[in-house]
Amino acid sequence: MKLAVVVQRYGQAVNGGAELHARYIAEHLARHAEVEVLTTCATDYVTWRNELAPGVEPVNGVPVRRFRVKHERDPQLFGRRSDCVFGERHSLGDELDWIDAEGPSSPALIDYLSKSVATYDYCLFFSYRYYVSYYGARATSPRAILVPTAERDAAIGLSMFQPVFRGVRALMYNSHEERAMIQRVSGNQDVAGVVVGIGSDVPQNPQPGRFRQKYNIHGPFAIYVGRIDRNKGCEELFEFFGGYVRDAPGRLSLVLIGNTLLPIPGDPRIRHLGFLDDADKFDAMAAADLLIMPSYFESLSMVTLEAWALGRPVVANGKCDVLKGQCIRSNAGLYYETYAEFLATLRALEQNRWLGGALGRNGRHFFRDNYHWPVIERKYLDMLGKLSREPAGRAMEPLPGWLERRRRVLPPGEEVVAGLPTGPSLALEREDPPPTYSRPPQLARSRS
Amino acid sequence: MPDFNVRSDSVNVDQIMEQIRARVREKRGVDYTEQQIRELAAVKLEKFLDPRGVRSDLLEQFRRLQPAYEPPELPNYAFEEATLFESHRAPIRWIRRLLQPILKLFFNPNPLIQALHIQSRLNTLNTESHAREQATRRGLDQLYFEVMHNLVIETTQLGIEVKNLKMRVESLASRLEFNERRARALESVVAYKPSSEGGTERAAVAAGPAPSQPGVAARPAPSQPGGAPEGPGQRSRHRRRRRGRRGGLPAAAIMSGSGPVVSTASGQGPSMGSGQGPSTGSGVSTGEATGAHTNTGESGGRPIDAESHPSAPHSEGPSPRPAQAGPAPIPGGTDTDEQ
Repeated sequence: MKLAVVVQRYGQAVNGGAELHARYIAEHLARHAEVEVLTTCATDYVTWRNELAPGVEPVNGVPVRRFRVKHERDPQLFGRRSDCVFGERHSLGDELDWIDAEGPSSPALIDYLSKSVATYDYCLFFSYRYYVSYYGARATSPRAILVPTAERDAAIGLSMFQPVFRGVRALMYNSHEERAMIQRVSGNQDVAGVVVGIGSDVPQNPQPGRFRQKYNIHGPFAIYVGRIDRNKGCEELFEFFGGYVRDAPGRLSLVLIGNTLLPIPGDPRIRHLGFLDDADKFDAMAAADLLIMPSYFESLSMVTLEAWALGRPVVANGKCDVLKGQCIRSNAGLYYETYAEFLATLRALEQNRWLGGALGRNGRHFFRDNYHWPVIERKYLDMLGKLSREPAGRAMEPLPGWLERRRRVLPPGEEVVAGLPTGPSLALEREDPPPTYSRPPQLARSRS
Repeated sequence: MPDFNVRSDSVNVDQIMEQIRARVREKRGVDYTEQQIRELAAVKLEKFLDPRGVRSDLLEQFRRLQPAYEPPELPNYAFEEATLFESHRAPIRWIRRLLQPILKLFFNPNPLIQALHIQSRLNTLNTESHAREQATRRGLDQLYFEVMHNLVIETTQLGIEVKNLKMRVESLASRLEFNERRARALESVVAYKPSSEGGTERAAVAAGPAPSQPGVAARPAPSQPGGAPEGPGQRSRHRRRRRGRRGGLPAAAIMSGSGPVVSTASGQGPSMGSGQGPSTGSGVSTGEATGAHTNTGESGGRPIDAESHPSAPHSEGPSPRPAQAGPAPIPGGTDTDEQ
């Protein structure tokens, strides 16, 4: 079986969520199939500047074929077009202009896909909202498998993506909430889909003592791992944690790991360690009493999964449906929506050591059952096998004609998203059959 | 006590969160959103309680902001019989009048003219009625506003009055307490002895030497055995004296209605102590036996703070005598039973 993994950027130094997701999946599927990555020469997601050479190069043993980006992103033009399609009644032409402005516009990659689609059994497209995924999925619809990595933002409300969600062969969702949202937006319930997510290579024996000694950290602490950014909810986190230090008699400190785009408060109980390598990061997470995940929008929080893999409880932002749903499904994390709840959850974990331990154990089981790499690989292979057995369904709806594209009849993206139901999709989860994915035999042997 | 209670090893996050939220609601009383809480916190209640925050010219300002109502001039077409055929050009008017019979061959415009005429009158009536209603409503608005204005003033004044009354009640309560303690203290040192003439005569129990100054109440010598026992109100004498001094009048004067009974600066006041050792640093020593001067507070001769240390020298009291058997001085000299 030959697979193409199509993603907007690719490389060991590329650490974006969807890009990392694509790399991990490509490298793990390469153990079971012939995998080729098709991507652009860009590494910067703001400009899409061509920084790498076009052609084929191996990355961690996986061949990567790069194509040039036709034009860099013009931020002003992109902003104007975003305002138009997200906030105003607009036409399909406006949406197509928007995705062209968003980039990375690479007609060469799309041409290559169109011509050589027959050489691949399936093409996996990561992140629905980029040029290469949109046009690539259209060019290869009978063999296209989409990993949408969709968040609850205005882009999901654009009408141009609905035929893509309905026209691909299968969708590999990151979460139940993502699946519910996409099904609600596009009505693609009849398209094959499965909630998969992504695994993580968590070390078996992290060394929390080493971390504490190296960074001179004493006492209990909560940890945040990720980009320290307003969009990630860090501003609210600082406000709430400052209140916790001021109002509550707790002893927790806050340790921040990651590059920062925000000024860090000068409180002595807030420590920023900057960007750490994986070993230090996992040691830090193992040393922490809990992980705080304050983000409002997440398709799938890998850090949360890693904390659970290490047996640490999580306190998540309950305004993020995905995080809240994961906490409830796993029984491994608490969530807050207000300052009072933030205080109460921290105090609950601080005062009840057994609760943190029980949540951590649940998290470890949840990770092992759902996000262990053999489970992830098995889900992908099962889906590929299922698609191989079944005939292709309906073809993707073609783009309408010139005049039809100019009719300004499409609702603003924000309006569509505002109309979507909120909250974790627990009802859907209960309808799902229990996970019955068998582990590979070698794993079973090692466990026995 | 933990914030919540889950008696199971298999935790249920939903259940825990429900308990946490219930507890948060319980603490808050009402389940406000963060936004509501911020809005509530932003309201300055003091503004309403502070009389300076009330604008006395509220009504005038309201009137100034709300100009007198003038009904808008609505277009009202007066519609008469000839309106349909009018024109400012005479030839056209003539031609229309000439062709009117022919028009009436096709349809009868009279009902239309009548209906429009009635409609025109109705419009006029409605406009007038609306203007009257508006004027009435604005008058009522001003009345309401005046009432509200008065209510705000009344409420503010009531609030201030309540505050004053509370302070007065507190003041009276403290004075009453002081008087009660004073009475108890005096009861402990005064004995009632039946006189030989059949009446009762009050006499102080004077086990020590007689008072050296006339007009000074007799007091027992604490150093002498068999002195007056310590009365129930004795320990809190310091506070009573402080309060008495704050009150302006000496405590004895309050009690007896006359002038001061004791001369305090001389150290000859009515000592009620008995062998309490040197000054405890309370600012009130217990008489000559303590070797320190007596400061009843009424004299105002020496600040209390200046006596807070037992080693503080006294220039105006009698020469100190060594302390007799009594408790050891309390380091730091704090008034332990009062503070």
